Amino acid sequence: MTNELRNPAQRLWQDQPVEGITMSVEIIRKRAAKFERKILRRNVREYIAALIAAAPLGYFLVTAQDVFARATFGLLIAGLVWMVVQLHRKGSVRSMPAGLGTLTSLQFYRAELERQREAVDTVWSWYLAPLIPGLLVYTVWSAIRSPRPAAWVGLALMDAVIAGVFYVIWKMNVRAARCLQRMIDELKAAENLC
Amino acid sequence: MTVDSTPDELYHHAAKVYGAALGRLARAYEADTDLRRDLLQEIHIALWRSFSTFDGRCSLRTWIYRVAHNVAASHVLRQRRTRSQALVGLEELENMPGGNNTLQVADRSHTFDRLLSMIQCLKPLDRHVILSYLEGHDAAAISEITGLSPGNVAVKIHRIKNLLAGQFRQGETR
Repeated sequence: MTNELRNPAQRLWQDQPVEGITMSVEIIRKRAAKFERKILRRNVREYIAALIAAAPLGYFLVTAQDVFARATFGLLIAGLVWMVVQLHRKGSVRSMPAGLGTLTSLQFYRAELERQREAVDTVWSWYLAPLIPGLLVYTVWSAIRSPRPAAWVGLALMDAVIAGVFYVIWKMNVRAARCLQRMIDELKAAENLC
Repeated sequence: MTVDSTPDELYHHAAKVYGAALGRLARAYEADTDLRRDLLQEIHIALWRSFSTFDGRCSLRTWIYRVAHNVAASHVLRQRRTRSQALVGLEELENMPGGNNTLQVADRSHTFDRLLSMIQCLKPLDRHVILSYLEGHDAAAISEITGLSPGNVAVKIHRIKNLLAGQFRQGETR
Protein backbone atom coordinates (compact mmCIF):
# COMPACT_ATOMS: atom_id res chain seq x y z
CA MET A 1 0.00 0.00 0.00
CA THR A 2 1.52 3.34 -1.01
CA ASN A 3 1.90 6.19 1.43
CA GLU A 4 -0.82 8.23 -0.31
CA LEU A 5 -3.36 5.42 -0.07
CA ARG A 6 -2.90 4.89 3.65
CA ASN A 7 -5.23 6.68 6.01
CA PRO A 8 -3.85 8.55 9.07
CA ALA A 9 -4.42 5.61 11.43
CA GLN A 10 -2.64 3.18 9.09
CA ARG A 11 0.23 5.63 8.64
CA LEU A 12 0.57 6.13 12.38
CA TRP A 13 0.51 2.38 12.99
CA GLN A 14 2.91 1.37 10.24
CA ASP A 15 5.39 4.17 10.88
CA GLN A 16 5.89 3.36 14.56
CA PRO A 17 9.44 2.49 15.58
CA VAL A 18 9.59 -1.28 15.89
CA GLU A 19 11.79 -3.35 18.13
CA GLY A 20 11.94 -6.33 15.80
CA ILE A 21 14.28 -9.22 16.26
CA THR A 22 16.62 -10.63 13.71
CA MET A 23 17.69 -14.18 14.29
CA SER A 24 19.72 -16.41 12.04
CA VAL A 25 18.40 -19.92 11.51
CA GLU A 26 21.21 -21.21 13.74
CA ILE A 27 20.12 -18.94 16.58
CA ILE A 28 16.47 -19.90 16.01
CA ARG A 29 17.43 -23.57 16.31
CA LYS A 30 19.25 -22.88 19.58
CA ARG A 31 16.39 -20.78 20.95
CA ALA A 32 13.86 -23.49 19.96
CA ALA A 33 15.93 -26.07 21.85
CA LYS A 34 16.20 -23.69 24.82
CA PHE A 35 12.45 -23.14 24.68
CA GLU A 36 11.88 -26.91 24.79
CA ARG A 37 14.21 -27.21 27.77
CA LYS A 38 12.27 -24.45 29.51
CA ILE A 39 9.01 -26.37 29.00
CA LEU A 40 10.68 -29.57 30.22
CA ARG A 41 12.01 -27.82 33.33
CA ARG A 42 8.54 -26.42 34.04
CA ASN A 43 7.03 -29.91 33.78
CA VAL A 44 9.72 -31.37 36.04
CA ARG A 45 9.06 -28.59 38.59
CA GLU A 46 5.33 -29.43 38.59
CA TYR A 47 6.03 -33.13 39.17
CA ILE A 48 8.55 -32.39 41.94
CA ALA A 49 5.97 -30.16 43.69
CA ALA A 50 3.47 -33.03 43.48
CA LEU A 51 6.08 -35.44 44.86
CA ILE A 52 6.77 -33.11 47.78
CA ALA A 53 3.03 -32.93 48.49
CA ALA A 54 2.75 -36.73 48.32
CA ALA A 55 5.89 -37.43 50.40
CA PRO A 56 4.26 -37.17 53.88
CA LEU A 57 1.41 -39.37 52.65
CA GLY A 58 4.00 -41.86 51.37
CA TYR A 59 5.68 -41.85 54.77
CA PHE A 60 2.38 -42.57 56.51
CA LEU A 61 1.61 -45.28 53.96
CA VAL A 62 4.88 -47.07 54.71
CA THR A 63 4.69 -46.71 58.50
CA ALA A 64 0.93 -47.37 58.91
CA GLN A 65 0.09 -50.37 61.05
CA ASP A 66 -3.37 -51.39 59.89
CA VAL A 67 -4.99 -51.98 56.55
CA PHE A 68 -7.46 -49.08 56.83
CA ALA A 69 -4.68 -46.56 57.30
CA ARG A 70 -2.73 -47.99 54.39
CA ALA A 71 -5.83 -47.90 52.20
CA THR A 72 -6.44 -44.26 53.19
CA PHE A 73 -2.96 -43.03 52.33
CA GLY A 74 -2.69 -45.26 49.26
CA LEU A 75 -5.96 -43.88 47.89
CA LEU A 76 -4.97 -40.28 48.64
CA ILE A 77 -1.64 -40.73 46.83
CA ALA A 78 -3.38 -42.36 43.85
CA GLY A 79 -5.88 -39.46 43.79
CA LEU A 80 -3.05 -36.89 43.86
CA VAL A 81 -1.16 -38.64 41.06
CA TRP A 82 -4.30 -38.78 38.92
CA MET A 83 -4.97 -35.10 39.61
CA VAL A 84 -1.46 -34.02 38.62
CA VAL A 85 -1.47 -36.09 35.42
CA GLN A 86 -4.84 -34.65 34.40
CA LEU A 87 -3.79 -31.13 35.37
CA HIS A 88 -0.79 -31.53 33.12
CA ARG A 89 -2.88 -32.91 30.24
CA LYS A 90 -5.72 -30.42 30.46
CA GLY A 91 -3.87 -27.41 31.89
CA SER A 92 -4.09 -24.06 30.16
CA VAL A 93 -0.37 -23.81 29.47
CA ARG A 94 0.81 -25.49 26.32
CA SER A 95 4.14 -25.05 24.64
CA MET A 96 3.21 -24.84 20.94
CA PRO A 97 -0.38 -25.73 20.05
CA ALA A 98 -0.78 -27.71 16.85
CA GLY A 99 -2.32 -26.40 13.62
CA LEU A 100 -0.95 -22.88 13.91
CA GLY A 101 -0.73 -22.27 10.18
CA THR A 102 -3.49 -24.51 8.89
CA LEU A 103 -6.26 -23.19 11.13
CA THR A 104 -7.84 -19.79 10.69
CA SER A 105 -7.79 -17.54 13.73
CA LEU A 106 -11.47 -18.26 14.30
CA GLN A 107 -10.98 -22.05 14.28
CA PHE A 108 -7.83 -21.89 16.39
CA TYR A 109 -9.21 -19.52 19.00
CA ARG A 110 -12.42 -21.53 19.30
CA ALA A 111 -10.51 -24.82 19.70
CA GLU A 112 -8.34 -23.30 22.45
CA LEU A 113 -11.40 -21.95 24.29
CA GLU A 114 -13.19 -25.30 23.96
CA ARG A 115 -10.15 -27.11 25.35
CA GLN A 116 -10.06 -24.78 28.37
CA ARG A 117 -13.84 -25.00 28.86
CA GLU A 118 -13.66 -28.80 28.83
CA ALA A 119 -10.96 -28.68 31.52
CA VAL A 120 -12.95 -26.45 33.91
CA ASP A 121 -16.30 -28.04 33.05
CA THR A 122 -15.11 -31.49 34.12
CA VAL A 123 -13.12 -30.30 37.16
CA TRP A 124 -15.32 -32.43 39.41
CA SER A 125 -14.32 -35.68 37.79
CA TRP A 126 -10.56 -35.14 37.49
CA TYR A 127 -9.68 -32.67 40.25
CA LEU A 128 -12.07 -33.24 43.14
CA ALA A 129 -13.53 -36.74 42.87
CA PRO A 130 -10.15 -38.59 42.90
CA LEU A 131 -9.55 -37.39 46.48
CA ILE A 132 -12.95 -38.49 47.80
CA PRO A 133 -12.28 -42.28 48.22
CA GLY A 134 -9.20 -41.59 50.36
CA LEU A 135 -11.05 -39.01 52.46
CA LEU A 136 -14.02 -41.35 52.93
CA VAL A 137 -11.87 -44.25 54.04
CA TYR A 138 -10.01 -41.88 56.38
CA THR A 139 -13.32 -40.76 57.93
CA VAL A 140 -14.56 -44.34 58.43
CA TRP A 141 -11.19 -45.46 59.79
CA SER A 142 -11.01 -42.55 62.24
CA ALA A 143 -14.59 -43.11 63.37
CA ILE A 144 -13.91 -46.79 64.08
CA ARG A 145 -10.64 -46.01 65.84
CA SER A 146 -12.18 -43.39 68.13
CA PRO A 147 -15.80 -44.40 68.79
CA ARG A 148 -16.60 -41.30 70.85
CA PRO A 149 -19.25 -38.68 69.98
CA ALA A 150 -16.75 -35.82 70.43
CA ALA A 151 -14.35 -37.42 67.93
CA TRP A 152 -17.21 -37.98 65.48
CA VAL A 153 -18.25 -34.34 65.74
CA GLY A 154 -14.65 -33.33 65.02
CA LEU A 155 -14.60 -35.63 61.98
CA ALA A 156 -17.93 -34.31 60.76
CA LEU A 157 -16.65 -30.74 61.06
CA MET A 158 -13.47 -31.59 59.15
CA ASP A 159 -15.50 -33.26 56.39
CA ALA A 160 -17.86 -30.29 56.26
CA VAL A 161 -14.93 -27.89 55.78
CA ILE A 162 -13.47 -30.10 53.03
CA ALA A 163 -16.90 -30.36 51.37
CA GLY A 164 -17.21 -26.56 51.57
CA VAL A 165 -13.80 -26.06 49.92
CA PHE A 166 -14.75 -28.56 47.18
CA TYR A 167 -18.04 -26.76 46.63
CA VAL A 168 -16.32 -23.36 46.26
CA ILE A 169 -13.75 -24.80 43.82
CA TRP A 170 -16.55 -26.45 41.82
CA LYS A 171 -18.67 -23.27 41.73
CA MET A 172 -15.70 -21.14 40.62
CA ASN A 173 -15.02 -23.56 37.79
CA VAL A 174 -18.68 -23.66 36.77
CA ARG A 175 -18.55 -19.87 36.53
CA ALA A 176 -15.34 -19.99 34.50
CA ALA A 177 -16.90 -22.60 32.18
CA ARG A 178 -19.95 -20.37 31.63
CA CYS A 179 -17.71 -17.41 30.83
CA LEU A 180 -15.72 -19.50 28.32
CA GLN A 181 -18.96 -20.84 26.82
CA ARG A 182 -20.18 -17.27 26.25
CA MET A 183 -16.94 -16.51 24.39
CA ILE A 184 -17.34 -19.69 22.32
CA ASP A 185 -20.95 -18.77 21.50
CA GLU A 186 -19.81 -15.33 20.34
CA LEU A 187 -17.31 -16.97 18.02
CA LYS A 188 -19.95 -19.38 16.72
CA ALA A 189 -22.22 -16.43 16.01
CA ALA A 190 -19.36 -14.68 14.21
CA GLU A 191 -18.82 -17.84 12.13
CA ASN A 192 -22.46 -17.90 11.08
CA LEU A 193 -22.61 -14.21 10.18
CA CYS A 194 -22.59 -13.54 6.47
CA MET B 1 9.48 -18.20 -2.32
CA THR B 2 7.70 -21.43 -3.27
CA VAL B 3 6.40 -24.55 -1.54
CA ASP B 4 9.65 -26.25 -2.60
CA SER B 5 11.75 -23.81 -0.58
CA THR B 6 13.28 -25.25 2.56
CA PRO B 7 11.83 -24.29 5.96
CA ASP B 8 15.03 -22.34 6.66
CA GLU B 9 14.68 -20.36 3.42
CA LEU B 10 11.01 -19.69 4.12
CA TYR B 11 11.81 -18.50 7.62
CA HIS B 12 14.63 -16.28 6.38
CA HIS B 13 12.25 -14.70 3.86
CA ALA B 14 9.46 -14.30 6.45
CA ALA B 15 11.77 -12.64 8.98
CA LYS B 16 13.14 -10.27 6.34
CA VAL B 17 9.84 -9.24 4.75
CA TYR B 18 7.45 -9.47 7.70
CA GLY B 19 9.82 -8.88 10.64
CA ALA B 20 8.63 -5.31 11.27
CA ALA B 21 4.93 -6.29 10.99
CA LEU B 22 5.52 -9.12 13.47
CA GLY B 23 7.15 -6.65 15.86
CA ARG B 24 4.09 -4.38 15.61
CA LEU B 25 1.81 -7.38 16.11
CA ALA B 26 3.64 -8.38 19.30
CA ARG B 27 3.34 -4.82 20.56
CA ALA B 28 -0.43 -4.95 20.02
CA TYR B 29 -0.76 -8.16 22.02
CA GLU B 30 1.60 -7.50 24.92
CA ALA B 31 2.24 -4.21 26.75
CA ASP B 32 5.02 -5.47 29.02
CA THR B 33 8.43 -5.09 27.34
CA ASP B 34 9.99 -8.33 28.62
CA LEU B 35 6.90 -10.43 27.95
CA ARG B 36 6.65 -8.83 24.49
CA ARG B 37 10.19 -9.87 23.68
CA ASP B 38 9.34 -13.44 24.77
CA LEU B 39 6.15 -13.39 22.69
CA LEU B 40 8.00 -12.15 19.60
CA GLN B 41 10.60 -14.84 20.05
CA GLU B 42 7.86 -17.44 20.46
CA ILE B 43 6.26 -16.24 17.21
CA HIS B 44 9.56 -16.54 15.34
CA ILE B 45 10.18 -20.04 16.69
CA ALA B 46 6.61 -21.10 15.86
CA LEU B 47 7.01 -19.73 12.33
CA TRP B 48 10.29 -21.53 11.73
CA ARG B 49 8.78 -24.78 12.98
CA SER B 50 5.54 -24.35 11.06
CA PHE B 51 7.30 -24.09 7.70
CA SER B 52 8.10 -27.80 7.78
CA THR B 53 4.35 -28.37 7.20
CA PHE B 54 3.73 -25.48 4.82
CA ASP B 55 2.04 -27.01 1.78
CA GLY B 56 1.11 -23.94 -0.25
CA ARG B 57 -2.64 -24.39 0.15
CA CYS B 58 -2.77 -20.78 1.26
CA SER B 59 -0.41 -17.94 0.45
CA LEU B 60 2.80 -17.53 2.44
CA ARG B 61 1.52 -14.22 3.82
CA THR B 62 -1.72 -15.82 5.05
CA TRP B 63 0.27 -18.64 6.67
CA ILE B 64 2.64 -16.22 8.43
CA TYR B 65 -0.15 -14.06 9.82
CA ARG B 66 -2.19 -17.09 10.91
CA VAL B 67 0.76 -18.53 12.83
CA ALA B 68 1.65 -15.16 14.36
CA HIS B 69 -1.89 -14.26 15.40
CA ASN B 70 -2.61 -17.77 16.72
CA VAL B 71 0.54 -17.73 18.87
CA ALA B 72 -0.43 -14.27 20.11
CA ALA B 73 -4.04 -15.32 20.85
CA SER B 74 -2.67 -18.29 22.78
CA HIS B 75 -0.52 -15.82 24.73
CA VAL B 76 -3.57 -13.65 25.52
CA LEU B 77 -5.47 -16.71 26.78
CA ARG B 78 -2.53 -17.71 28.99
CA GLN B 79 -2.27 -14.20 30.44
CA ARG B 80 -6.05 -13.95 30.96
CA ARG B 81 -5.78 -15.93 34.19
CA THR B 82 -3.28 -13.56 35.73
CA ARG B 83 -4.70 -10.27 34.46
CA SER B 84 -7.98 -8.80 35.54
CA GLN B 85 -8.48 -6.51 32.53
CA ALA B 86 -11.67 -7.46 30.70
CA LEU B 87 -11.39 -7.59 26.93
CA VAL B 88 -14.14 -6.07 24.81
CA GLY B 89 -15.41 -6.50 21.27
CA LEU B 90 -15.53 -3.80 18.58
CA GLU B 91 -19.30 -3.54 18.93
CA GLU B 92 -19.07 -3.01 22.72
CA LEU B 93 -16.30 -0.47 22.27
CA GLU B 94 -18.35 1.42 19.70
CA ASN B 95 -21.38 1.46 22.02
CA MET B 96 -19.45 2.51 25.13
CA PRO B 97 -20.13 6.04 26.34
CA GLY B 98 -17.31 8.01 24.74
CA GLY B 99 -16.26 4.92 22.80
CA ASN B 100 -15.90 6.97 19.66
CA ASN B 101 -13.87 9.38 21.69
CA THR B 102 -11.21 6.94 22.72
CA LEU B 103 -8.50 8.61 20.75
CA GLN B 104 -8.11 12.07 22.18
CA VAL B 105 -5.65 13.72 19.87
CA ALA B 106 -3.08 15.90 21.56
CA ASP B 107 0.07 15.02 19.67
CA ARG B 108 1.26 12.18 17.51
CA SER B 109 2.85 10.20 20.32
CA HIS B 110 -0.17 10.59 22.56
CA THR B 111 -2.47 9.56 19.72
CA PHE B 112 -0.40 6.47 19.13
CA ASP B 113 -0.53 5.51 22.82
CA ARG B 114 -4.32 5.85 22.81
CA LEU B 115 -4.58 3.81 19.63
CA LEU B 116 -2.37 1.12 21.16
CA SER B 117 -4.33 0.97 24.41
CA MET B 118 -7.57 0.70 22.45
CA ILE B 119 -6.17 -2.22 20.44
CA GLN B 120 -4.84 -3.93 23.58
CA CYS B 121 -8.27 -3.96 25.24
CA LEU B 122 -9.91 -5.79 22.31
CA LYS B 123 -10.75 -9.49 22.21
CA PRO B 124 -8.20 -11.49 20.16
CA LEU B 125 -10.33 -11.92 17.04
CA ASP B 126 -11.30 -8.24 16.86
CA ARG B 127 -7.72 -7.31 17.63
CA HIS B 128 -6.69 -9.46 14.70
CA VAL B 129 -9.10 -7.65 12.37
CA ILE B 130 -8.07 -4.15 13.45
CA LEU B 131 -4.36 -5.02 13.18
CA SER B 132 -4.84 -6.46 9.71
CA TYR B 133 -6.73 -3.32 8.74
CA LEU B 134 -3.99 -1.09 10.13
CA GLU B 135 -1.40 -3.15 8.24
CA GLY B 136 -3.31 -2.34 5.07
CA HIS B 137 -4.79 -5.76 4.29
CA ASP B 138 -7.99 -5.81 2.27
CA ALA B 139 -11.23 -7.49 3.42
CA ALA B 140 -10.59 -10.63 1.33
CA ALA B 141 -7.14 -11.16 2.88
CA ILE B 142 -8.48 -10.54 6.40
CA SER B 143 -11.28 -13.02 5.73
CA GLU B 144 -8.82 -15.68 4.56
CA ILE B 145 -6.56 -15.26 7.60
CA THR B 146 -9.26 -14.99 10.25
CA GLY B 147 -11.90 -17.35 8.85
CA LEU B 148 -14.58 -14.69 9.24
CA SER B 149 -16.93 -14.28 6.28
CA PRO B 150 -16.14 -11.32 3.97
CA GLY B 151 -19.45 -9.74 5.00
CA ASN B 152 -18.58 -9.98 8.67
CA VAL B 153 -15.13 -8.54 8.02
CA ALA B 154 -16.72 -5.64 6.13
CA VAL B 155 -18.99 -4.89 9.11
CA LYS B 156 -16.04 -4.97 11.49
CA ILE B 157 -13.94 -2.73 9.25
CA HIS B 158 -16.84 -0.28 9.10
CA ARG B 159 -16.87 -0.20 12.91
CA ILE B 160 -13.10 0.24 13.04
CA LYS B 161 -13.27 3.15 10.60
CA ASN B 162 -16.02 4.73 12.71
CA LEU B 163 -13.89 4.39 15.81
CA LEU B 164 -10.78 5.83 14.21
CA ALA B 165 -11.75 8.26 11.47
CA GLY B 166 -13.35 11.09 13.43
CA GLN B 167 -10.50 11.42 15.86
CA PHE B 168 -7.79 11.32 13.24
CA ARG B 169 -9.59 13.91 11.13
CA GLN B 170 -9.73 16.04 14.26
CA GLY B 171 -6.00 15.48 14.78
CA GLU B 172 -5.11 16.56 11.27
CA THR B 173 -7.04 19.81 11.52
CA ARG B 174 -5.15 20.94 14.65
